[in-house]
Formats: sequence, C-alpha cells, structure tokens
Amino acid sequence: MRAEAVVTGLGTIGPFGQGREALARALAAGKPAVAEVDRRAGVHRETGARLAGLVRDRDLSRWIAPAAGRRMCFPSKLAVAAARMALAEAGLDAADTGASRLGVYLSTTFGAGLFTELLLKQVFLEGAETAQPFYFSECVANAPAAQLAIAVGARGPNMMLTQRESGPILAVARAAQAVREGRVDRALAGAVEEVTPLLHALLDRFGALALPSSGRAEMPRPFDRRRDGFLAGEGATVLVLEREDAARARGARALARIGWSGAGFDSTAGVSDWGDGHAPLAAALRAGLDEVPGGVAGIGAVVSGASGTRRGDLLEARVLRASWSGDPLPPLLVPKAVTGEYGGGILAPALLALEGASFGPTPGFAEIDPEVDVAPHSGAAQPAPERVLLTGLASGGGAAWLVLERAS
Amino acid sequence: MSESPAIRSRIKQVIVDALHLEGLVPQEIGDDAPLFGEGLGLDSVDALELVVALEKEFGVRIQSHEVGKEAFASVSALAAFIDGRLAAPGYRNAGS
Amino acid sequence: MDASPPRGTGMPGADRDPDRSRTVVVTGLGAVSPLGWSLESLWEGLRAGRTAVGPFDRFDHTGHRTHIAAQVDLALEPRRARGKPRRISAADRFAVAAARSAVARAGLDPRDRCERTGMYFGSTTGGMLETEAYLSTLLASASGRLRPPAASLLASQQNNGPADAVARELGIGGPVQTVSAACASGAMAIGDAIQAVRRGEVDVAIAGGSDALCRLTYAGFNALRAVDERPCRPFRADRAGLSLGEGAAALVLEPLERAMARGARPLALAAGEAATCDAHHMTSPHPEGHGAAAAIRAALSDARLDPEAIDFVNAHGTGTPLNDAAECAALVAVFGDRTADLPVTSTKALVGHLLGSAGALEAVATILCLLHGEVHPMPDDGQPDPGLPLRLILGRPLRLERARHALSTSLGFGGANAALVFTRLGDPDLAG
Repeated sequence: MRAEAVVTGLGTIGPFGQGREALARALAAGKPAVAEVDRRAGVHRETGARLAGLVRDRDLSRWIAPAAGRRMCFPSKLAVAAARMALAEAGLDAADTGASRLGVYLSTTFGAGLFTELLLKQVFLEGAETAQPFYFSECVANAPAAQLAIAVGARGPNMMLTQRESGPILAVARAAQAVREGRVDRALAGAVEEVTPLLHALLDRFGALALPSSGRAEMPRPFDRRRDGFLAGEGATVLVLEREDAARARGARALARIGWSGAGFDSTAGVSDWGDGHAPLAAALRAGLDEVPGGVAGIGAVVSGASGTRRGDLLEARVLRASWSGDPLPPLLVPKAVTGEYGGGILAPALLALEGASFGPTPGFAEIDPEVDVAPHSGAAQPAPERVLLTGLASGGGAAWLVLERAS
Repeated sequence: MSESPAIRSRIKQVIVDALHLEGLVPQEIGDDAPLFGEGLGLDSVDALELVVALEKEFGVRIQSHEVGKEAFASVSALAAFIDGRLAAPGYRNAGS
Repeated sequence: MDASPPRGTGMPGADRDPDRSRTVVVTGLGAVSPLGWSLESLWEGLRAGRTAVGPFDRFDHTGHRTHIAAQVDLALEPRRARGKPRRISAADRFAVAAARSAVARAGLDPRDRCERTGMYFGSTTGGMLETEAYLSTLLASASGRLRPPAASLLASQQNNGPADAVARELGIGGPVQTVSAACASGAMAIGDAIQAVRRGEVDVAIAGGSDALCRLTYAGFNALRAVDERPCRPFRADRAGLSLGEGAAALVLEPLERAMARGARPLALAAGEAATCDAHHMTSPHPEGHGAAAAIRAALSDARLDPEAIDFVNAHGTGTPLNDAAECAALVAVFGDRTADLPVTSTKALVGHLLGSAGALEAVATILCLLHGEVHPMPDDGQPDPGLPLRLILGRPLRLERARHALSTSLGFGGANAALVFTRLGDPDLAG
C-alpha cells in the first residue's frame, strides 16, 4: 500500500503581507497589492511598466534573529521565515525531525537578484578586488535552500530547482516523492523569489510585463482579450510535508494530501515564450487526471498558473479545454492576478482554496478572448472543492501539474 | 610609530558596517578582544569580507596569506598592521 | 552483496518499495570539456594526465588575483545548435552538443515516444556570461553613453536554459528539470534521473549538466580567495585552491530490460545514488566530512554494495585546503583502513571545476575509467599531503582491468553533497 504525503504546515510571505490570513484577505478582495518600482537607476524604459508586487514589510525579525540573518540575501530570509512559519503551524520544532531525515526542496527563477547585481557592478565599475565575498556566497541559486538547511538543521537532500513557472509545483512533487518513498521523513518544499528594480526593468524590456496605457492602469489581465503581460511579484511559500500515517499518529492536522503530479515539455516553445504544443501536454494531463478518483469531474477547481501573458494564458486555456474534452471546466482560480508572477507561486492560494477560502472576482478580467475562450473565476461563492488541480506552464517549454486533495 | 586611536576607531566602524553587526556599537568592541573564533565569533568569510572593506577604507592591499593570521587577531593587531602598511614607503595601493 | 533491506534509504520495515524494481543502466555518454568537444578527446586528455587549465580569454580578467581557467575552444564546435545565435548561450551550446552525442551513442531518437523521455540537468549560472555582457552595456546606456542592448540577449539567462535548449533541440516531451545545487548539481541531477527511471516516470532519462565560465563565478571564487594562481593540485601538500573550468556532460539512462529489448548494449549500471546536506556553513564543508560520508554510505546502501566493493574513487577533489581535507575525512570514515589502498583521482585536476556540470562530467569520466579498465591520473605536480592518507593516481593511468564498481563524489558550495556508484558492464569500443 503506497504511503501518502500530506501538507501539515504552510508559511507564506508576499506583497499581501505575511501569513495565510493576509493572503486570504487579499484573495477575497481580489485586488493585487502593487507598489511603484524604484526607477532612479535609469535602466527602465520611459513608457514601460512601473508596478510590481513587492514585499513591503521586510522586517522578518520575528522569524530570523538579526545576528543569524546578517549575511543572508533577501530570498534566503524569505525562505527561512516562510519555513519557520510553516513549521510553527505544523506544530514542529525543527529538532523534532531527525536532521538527516529532513529534506529541502525549493524552487526559484532568478535566484539572488540583488546580490548578483551588486557583485557584477563591483566587478564592472569598481574592479575585481572590490568584489565582496558576502555577495558571492549568496549568489548561488541554491543559497536560500542552503541557508534554510543551516537554520533548521536539515541534513537530508537539499535541492533548489530552477524551472521558471513550473518550479514550485516540481519542488512540491519531488518533495512528496521523497516522503512517500521513505528517502526523508519530512520535507520543506516551496518557492522563493525577489524582484529588484533591475530585474523589473529587464522583464519589462523583454516585453513580459503588463503595461500602462492611456487612461488605464497597468494590470495583469489573465485570459482577458486585452491582456499584455504579467505583474512581477516577490515572496516565498514553504510547505511542511510528511507521511500521512505519521502525521495522524502525532495528531497533526493535514491541510491537504498530495495527489497525482505530472510534468512534460512543449518543445515548440521559444527560449522565453510559450509554444503551440497544447495537444501533447493535454494528453499528459488527461492521462494523469484519469488516474484521479472521479477523473476530471473530480476536480473541484483549477488553481491556474496563468498570469496574464498573451501566449501563456492561451496555451493554458487550450490545454485545459482539451483535457476536459469539451466538458465545462470547473472554476478557474487565478491567484497570480493578486500575488503576481514568481514569489511563492500558487502553492499557498491552492491550499486556501481547498480549505474553502473565498476568492473574489479575478482582477483585471473583463472580457473573454474568443481565441482563449475561457473565463476565470467571477467571484461567485463556491463550495469548498474536494480536490484542486494546480497548473504550471513555464515559458521556454516546461510544464508541471499537481493535484491536492482534502485529507479530512 | 604607534598607531592613532583614530585608526582603531575607523576599524571598529568598518567591522560593524561591513559585517552587518546590527545593534553593535563600534566602541563596544574591545581593542584587544578576539575577533575570530571566540569573542566576536567571526568566521573565515567574515575575514575575507573585512579585508575587502579594509582595503577600500584605507587604500591598502592585503595578501591572501596575511588574512586571518596574527594581524587579524584583534582591533589593535589590525591597527598596527594597517599603520605599518600606510607608513611603508611607496606601498599604498600597490598592485597585486 | 547485502541481501537485507538497504540501510540509509529509510525504507520502512522489510518492505521493498516496488518503485525500486527497475535496474537502471547507462547507454550513452557525451561530453564537451576543455579537453575537446568529443568523448574521445576527453578520454585522451584524461589518460594523458594533461591539464587543460591555463591562460584563457573568455572575458577580461585583469584586476583579478588569478589569470587561468580551463576553457572550451568555441571555435571547434562541430555543428551549431539551432536557435538564433543571440538567444542561445554558450552553456546551452555545450549542453546540446553533449546531449546529442550521448543520445547518438545510445542509438536513440528522442522523438520516438518523446513524452516518455525526460531531462534531469544541473547548472549554476546558465546564460550568465551573456547576461553580464548585456548588463555591462545596459549600465553604460543608463549613463547615456550607449544605446540599450536588445533584451533578446537575455532570453536564456536562467539556469534552466541549457536543459530547455536540449529539450527543444531534441523534441523531448517528458519531464524537464534543472537543479541548482552549486557544485553538486550535476551529480544530483543524475541521482534524480536514476530515481525517475526506477519509478517509471520516464523510459529514457537524459541526465547531466552544463555551465560556462563567467565573470560572476570567477570574481566570486576569487573574492573568497578560493582560486589557485596555478592549476589546482587536489590533495597535495601545497594545494592552494580550485581552478575554474566549463563544459557539459550528458548520460542516457534507461531501464535494463528496455535497453536489452531494443538491442542497446549498456555501458554501466547506474547502481546507486544519494544526496545529503551538511547544514553547517555556506562556504566551508563540515570539517569531518559528515554530510559527505553520509551521502557515500547511502549511495553504497542504495547500490546494495559494501565499501569493500568499490575499486576506485573519482573524488570531488577541488584542490582547496578545506575541501580536500573534509573529503578525505569522509573517505576515511567510510572506507577505514582500506582508504590508503583505494585509488583516488580527481578529474578537476585536468579540466578544472565545471560547477554545475562537474558531477556529470566526473560521472562520465568514472564510467570511461571503468570501461577502459584504467583510473585516469592527475598531473604529477606537488607532493601528496602527508596528512591525507590517500592513494593518489599521479602522472600515469593506473591499470585496473578488474575494476567493477566506482564511486564519484560531489561536495557542493552551501553544503549539498551527492554520491554516485557505477558498475562496469560494457567494453571500451562501446564508448568510443
């Protein structure tokens, strides 16, 4: 009999604030928390994007003592803070898990943006001898995972995945496999990202971000006819995963059971774009969902990784419609319209959705795009789903899906 | 030539700033208190970070083999070391 | 061979996890390294014990403390990968060439049931080299001196670039993932691939890694004073740091039954894998190598082998004072008195530290050594450290015709450790 993996703790930090209540309020209100990005360095386009979902309250001293965090880059601090939040909810002291039996599975897209930028500026503008060791030791993409391991004493496998928008789902899926297969007893799984002014300027120059236009604020518009890009968001989400029988034995509440997960690749994608290969992706997704109790009909809601990009949302819609073979789709929740792209991904909103949290009308959506032909969640009250499907289609071709189900 | 209190004071400020020792007032660092291992408990990466900061602050060059040794044992030791560098004829800002 | 349930893999009770039922074999190898763009040139250089670490010109390094690295000769690229020149990074090109070579050797067409082929890759800096050039121009443009560069140069910046480039090039449709675990990335990627094939997630896994020299890592490791001014001398008394290198390596992994059924001849058994973390310090390894020893023990356990079965070790061996001491402590902890007789080599002495692809290139080197019945040497430069009781292979290859099992270790920056065990199956002419 296969062991099951459950989530017993959630920690999340983002533009909405710190913790699940702050996130729940933001999702219910259906409004992204945005801030003006600092454009004083002069690398932004004049007519480009100006807003991002930034973590405003950067005081994480509740979770990390200043002495411990003095050499941490912001993503490392976010990861450690979110992990401690999750462990607290799980009722676990880090020491409760034998160190060698605790693994870390995180994902990030850009890694330590600020420290990388600062180090390169030193090299380019001031000379190689001014390069600061502090910056470099945090510049490796796995720094947050390594710092987390030190902070909580996790000596099991330590993995940082870099797979763009698919990363968070892949990280949780890998962690769940490790737990089920007995490679670890518990795992800390999730995602972390920081959005610096330079990164924001580069994403904008790339044409990736939603743009302001006369009379209209810039806004991600998932699935909408006028969508023109995403809102960059920073933050972190970490989940505690453990075996279901072990969780029950110690009286822990399981927030969700990790169900089917799948991954694929659309090789028609461009280097930084989404492709046209919805048919093979849908076949993979459908084959996976057919293994889930109730099949596609058993999915109470889709927690979509769509973020308002022209081709990403289109591909997502096509994959979903093909997987459902013409049957009506369940409600399509789009958390990135509120939290922005990157950050902690859609992991925390998906858990809240399973718990019956209310999601307001999808911000930015006003008009169906005939080519896309789906409408995201309208804000109408829904019963709490038994099972949700998380989707993560990455620019460049990666694809990942995950089913979470209620574990009463 | 004995080094001035000003150098020791600057070194303490550099230590606090460069190593992000928030909440530590520079004057609280004892002149002869151990910096590494015990005392302030700084480690090898702190030593390297301190070198970069000291090189910048005083315009001196510190060789790899000098890092972390007696010269770095305390603020006083560092002050004597830097003072010696600054006084040496033609040494300031020598290339590698 | 140990018949009881494996230690260290955490299998509950005596149940054998059915996901472990498939034996995983290596059916293809490919590598792009400072020794050349082919597997043949790699083996020739490794055998000869000839270091490729020397003067390099990938970028301007005046003002750095060191002026050497092991560089891939870009002019020798056999056949350009597809993709607009500006959107494909050097790391992408290395990866595509290595993967193509591995897949060709395996006699596979990935388009054949492509959804059952996956990629498990490692990289630490992806397209950083190209991003640096972009950034430099962008910073100059902010001061009004230049026009801003075209953003398309950044297309393949992130670490997933190389694996994605291979997947697009070969038409792969299964899972594609890139892990960034610093120096342990390549080995962890192979470990993940082994797991994926065992549990039936894919029928074919292309595993490996790719990284290119870039200013960030060159400046960074120099800032840590971890780079030797001379080519690195692992485990030597006067070792003074690592040498940086670049390149890519790829292995094709599949279930033994499937390989036999399609008439492929496996080169090696991917017998065991494990990953741990020191959770000790961001840049220094645990001084007694505890995390590394745990990874080695777990990999042996995963391979159902006792330490006595290992015939040689391809060590992480960077040449830094701390790494080599910690790694030796780990080997002694696992192999005990036998350590002094156990042949140890480090591929880094010849091609430098390939960072994200190091573990993958070293896995390829380990398998080549098994196939050829020889442990490749390190250049005979400097006395072995008398404090490290190791049997270093220096100057000339060590003939070991009967070598069956080999261990390859990776101890990463930030504390991630990975260990892989390979068992010889094939003959040299299959590799070449």
